[in-house]
Amino acid sequence: MSLLSVQNLKMHFPVRGGVFYTTKATCKAVDGVSFELQPGETLGLVGESGCGKSTVAKSVVRLLKPTAGSIQFNGHDISTKSQGQLRELRRELQMVFQDPAESLNPRHTIGQILEEPFIIQKMGTRAERSEWAAELLKRVGLPADGVHKYPFEFSGGQRQRIGIARALALKPKLIVCDEPVSALDVSVQAQVLNLLLELQRDFGLAYLFIAHDLSVVQHMSDRVAVMYLGKIVEMAPAAELYKNPRHAYTKALLDAIPIADPTKRRERQLLKGDVPSPINPPAGCAFGHRMKHPEWQESTKIDLRLKEVSPGHFVQACPCCVDL
Amino acid sequence: MAAPLLEVRNLRVGFQTDNGLLTAVDDVDFTLDAGKTLGVVGESGCGKSVTAMSLMRLLPQPAGVILGGEVRLEGRDLTQLPIGDMRKIRGNDIAMIFQEPMTALNPVQSVGRQIIEAIQLHEPMLPNKALKRAVELMEWVGIPAPDQRVNEYPHQLSGGMRQRVMIAMALSCHPKVLIADEPTTALDVTVQAQILELLKRLQRETGMAVILITHDLGVVAEVCDDLAVMYAGRIVERGPVSEIFAKPLHPYTQGLINCLPKLDHPPKTPLPVIPGMVPSLKDMPKGCRFAPRCPNKHSDDVLSQRQPWKECGSGHGVEACACFAQQLSAS
Repeated sequence: MSLLSVQNLKMHFPVRGGVFYTTKATCKAVDGVSFELQPGETLGLVGESGCGKSTVAKSVVRLLKPTAGSIQFNGHDISTKSQGQLRELRRELQMVFQDPAESLNPRHTIGQILEEPFIIQKMGTRAERSEWAAELLKRVGLPADGVHKYPFEFSGGQRQRIGIARALALKPKLIVCDEPVSALDVSVQAQVLNLLLELQRDFGLAYLFIAHDLSVVQHMSDRVAVMYLGKIVEMAPAAELYKNPRHAYTKALLDAIPIADPTKRRERQLLKGDVPSPINPPAGCAFGHRMKHPEWQESTKIDLRLKEVSPGHFVQACPCCVDL
Repeated sequence: MAAPLLEVRNLRVGFQTDNGLLTAVDDVDFTLDAGKTLGVVGESGCGKSVTAMSLMRLLPQPAGVILGGEVRLEGRDLTQLPIGDMRKIRGNDIAMIFQEPMTALNPVQSVGRQIIEAIQLHEPMLPNKALKRAVELMEWVGIPAPDQRVNEYPHQLSGGMRQRVMIAMALSCHPKVLIADEPTTALDVTVQAQILELLKRLQRETGMAVILITHDLGVVAEVCDDLAVMYAGRIVERGPVSEIFAKPLHPYTQGLINCLPKLDHPPKTPLPVIPGMVPSLKDMPKGCRFAPRCPNKHSDDVLSQRQPWKECGSGHGVEACACFAQQLSAS
């Protein structure tokens, strides 16, 4: 059984305005996303800013209540649970945020921050909790006496380690990592990525790994899903996706990665224009619409579901972006 | 050989703080020729932005001080100029674009007005002529429908378009040097590729020199001719991009190149790392500043004595720390 199964997830936000603050439009941040995640597996989620990847992350941990669709975690449907029931589920479902400076309370010591999950879950005595906090710190490679310090006394990379320690506290099965290394320097980024891989091996964690850096995602993931304007346009095993991208958007994204090798300079096919707004998105294939593809009209008439083109390789089958 | 367009010699910049004077940039040297792009890489806090700010004489006042050294633009030492003359140089001769175009633009003025302001400051002209010029500039940097966009406000534009507006403003008076401080860090890869391509095109058309400050070695490899690697306020290695990527000499440069996840690296295996952290400005080693994190064996002398700079041919130079200097002479 899958650890996490997301079916046709939709997250729509009303856009209000005017004198009576009426709903003027709907922002379809996530519009029909489905994927599954097995225990111990990493699914990478990539896309440009505004494509809805963080909204997916927040819905999976139910920081947002989805408009439609179901999210099954370990056999329980998260999307309909009450806050009390969620508390129990969240032991096994944690999140690491992008900006470690903003996700740690500056007025709490590291000890307080790391003990909080246990307090919320009513676990252990005071002495046990402080012992656990010190162990957690050691586990992520920081000295145990750090429990008496405050977040500002640590560097960005160390704070992200603390964020990871907090997510790890309740021995979860799934950690949702929302851009965990994009605020870090490259040398520190490598340290944190190595830590995440090591923890996954030791604890059998599954990750939903969100990042905009495609080389980081490729390094971390077993499978990768590419999102564009609230929809997954392609999903495949990592090696397959990078070697053999089928969707025009995936190709464009891969082509835009700067390669740290001056001997491989090349003329690129530049994507024109910007990501369109998810408020009133175009019908049919959104990427074909952006590229003004001559066959875009065709895509509005057909069912744009993901289609399996080779084992495990799914792509949104629209005539304008994919040669089938 | 003709004198370089921009020559920075022994630049030292410090900040007055409660903990005394901290030296953020220590003995930075580089030259830049017209039409060339110099990449400056390093981790946050290594002094790359402070170097850029001191070239423009835009250090936060009164804390930031240039402690010594020269910044020569076509022979004139900018560090000695009176502030009035410096103001004429900014924009006219050296211009700058910043990382976050949203904070660098004024949110309550239309972008057109802001471009016109930049034009008229340096070149008095009638308002309608300036407006026409602003529209031309916006078209030049690839903004679609410039005659409508000129009346829009920064929040109506996307990140990439805002950065284009910044570039249009910076280039309004045809500067000889453009300093781009992390111009694409806040942008998506696809938009980053557009902006880098735009900078390359504008450089070809105007022959300006560009200093590109970034932490992304991929960006450097794509667009720069030369590279300076900064660590803790000093340049530790400098040379042509192809040379440095093919044969990085300093252990820090090697570490930086190795720790990037590469598309051909086996996935889910540990990446090589640079252990530890950058030393604090308060207790910076006198000698090799990278020594505490260096994988090579080194004696304590390395920490206490300034390590010599060594040129290794074709413009490739390195701070030759004793821990690897012998290999240099051997090869």
